[in-house]
Amino acid sequence: MVDGFIVTVIKGFALVNLLMGFFAFMTWVERRLIGRFQQRLGPNRVGPAGLLQPIADLGKLLRKQSMIPTGARPRLYLLAPFVSLTCAIGAFGFMPFGGLATIPGTSLTFHLYMADSNVALLFVAALGSLGFYGLLIGGWASGSKYAMLGGMRAIAQLVSYEVAFTLAVIGVLIHARSLSFIDIVHAQSGWYWYILPQFLGFLVFMVAAVAESNRPPFDLTEADGEVVAGYHTEYGGMRFAMFANAEFINAITLSALAAVLFLAGPEGPLLPGPLWMLIKTGLFLFIFIWLRATTPRVRFDQLMSLGWKLLLPVATLNLLVTAFFVVYGSSHA
Amino acid sequence: MNTLVWALASAGALASALAVIVQRNPFISAIALLGNLASLATLYLLLQSDFVAAAQIMVYAGAIMVMFLFVIAYIGPRGEVQDERRRGWQIGAACAAAGAILVEVAWTVGRSGLTSAATVKDDFGSPKHVGELFLTRYVGAFEIVSLLLLVAAIAAVVLGAGARPNRVRMDERQAKVRAARQLAAQREPGA
Repeated sequence: MVDGFIVTVIKGFALVNLLMGFFAFMTWVERRLIGRFQQRLGPNRVGPAGLLQPIADLGKLLRKQSMIPTGARPRLYLLAPFVSLTCAIGAFGFMPFGGLATIPGTSLTFHLYMADSNVALLFVAALGSLGFYGLLIGGWASGSKYAMLGGMRAIAQLVSYEVAFTLAVIGVLIHARSLSFIDIVHAQSGWYWYILPQFLGFLVFMVAAVAESNRPPFDLTEADGEVVAGYHTEYGGMRFAMFANAEFINAITLSALAAVLFLAGPEGPLLPGPLWMLIKTGLFLFIFIWLRATTPRVRFDQLMSLGWKLLLPVATLNLLVTAFFVVYGSSHA
Repeated sequence: MNTLVWALASAGALASALAVIVQRNPFISAIALLGNLASLATLYLLLQSDFVAAAQIMVYAGAIMVMFLFVIAYIGPRGEVQDERRRGWQIGAACAAAGAILVEVAWTVGRSGLTSAATVKDDFGSPKHVGELFLTRYVGAFEIVSLLLLVAAIAAVVLGAGARPNRVRMDERQAKVRAARQLAAQREPGA
């Protein structure tokens, strides 16, 4: 808490609401974009250009009958979506959106981030893997074979890609010599963005990020041809929406993380920090949507061999080479 | 504020630890253990050990407990305790052991003269500090532990790969599929 308790609570409230609004807007963007990719219109009836579609969806989801399947364990069944969504939103507490900001017309200042820690990156990674408990608990507590299989797949996928993901991130850490997002952003000032010296790490990071967010082409956990809807097969209405929400917010978090680690986050000329952060996060989100629209889902064995036989060795190599060059190499690091 | 968080985290740690041993269902026990790890991490945070807290969540909650739950979910209802009988002497022995540990802890803390909160340097427990210690003072222990883990991993692979016949059967099946495909190709050229 850099601004004291009250201001931090207000900032947190604002951030969560902005995030939810951004999420609603992005579901519309995603559907419109995929529509364009597939030579159709996408949602365009509700409101101007279909912009009110998320609100219509919300109304529909809220009015669905909520039920708990007979074979389920009710308490865990109800807990699971909360676990996923809480972890997904919590990770945003460390995201930097800029430095010090002044409220116009006053001399009051506040920081454009909620918290800074010397282990911020570890906490975000930890919350990311904790979110998977929602999927496993949900899958297990539903009392359905398909949900169970989806949950198990989620865990197998997490374990396979977590290592490569972390190794790719460590490359950036070696350059920045810090785990704090604020320091990592500072270290990239003056256009020394880590996407250039860490391009290999960036590629590994992006592939692992898509796998970690369970989005196509790595959405094996909810492959409709194989496990119906995976871990959320038995969920309906707002409970299903919470899972979908958590999944998309994870994609937003990973995009923001990529923006901070490889594109210097809120740093940039002319425009204010939060806007740069939005532009860069949006860029990565577009890549996420692009992948969903254009690539077929991989098979499970392909997923596993990609993670263990390609990404892990490449990430390890990248790490060793980076460490070597930082210790014996250039003056910039 | 700190006291409130401490009270909540301590109560959480005790309650979840109790739930781990009281719950019949291993899946729920494992989730309670997860709550215990999270409570402990909160306590570490209060002790200025951000890195230990993050590592606790990341390694234990994020990786090890995931495997626990995976295995429990995989084994399924077979993992649940069937035998409901509990022997009186087991409960008695457990209570005696717990009491002995309590006395031991109380005695040690009382003798050590811990009266006020410890004061530590600002960089205590920072990733840099921990990393330096790992690579200098404790490098021997660190490397030995990694070797031990490697041995354990190899042992697990050796034990897990015991089911050789299965693999042979897979090869046979693949050979059959290949033969069937060749046959089909011969019958319908260009298919």
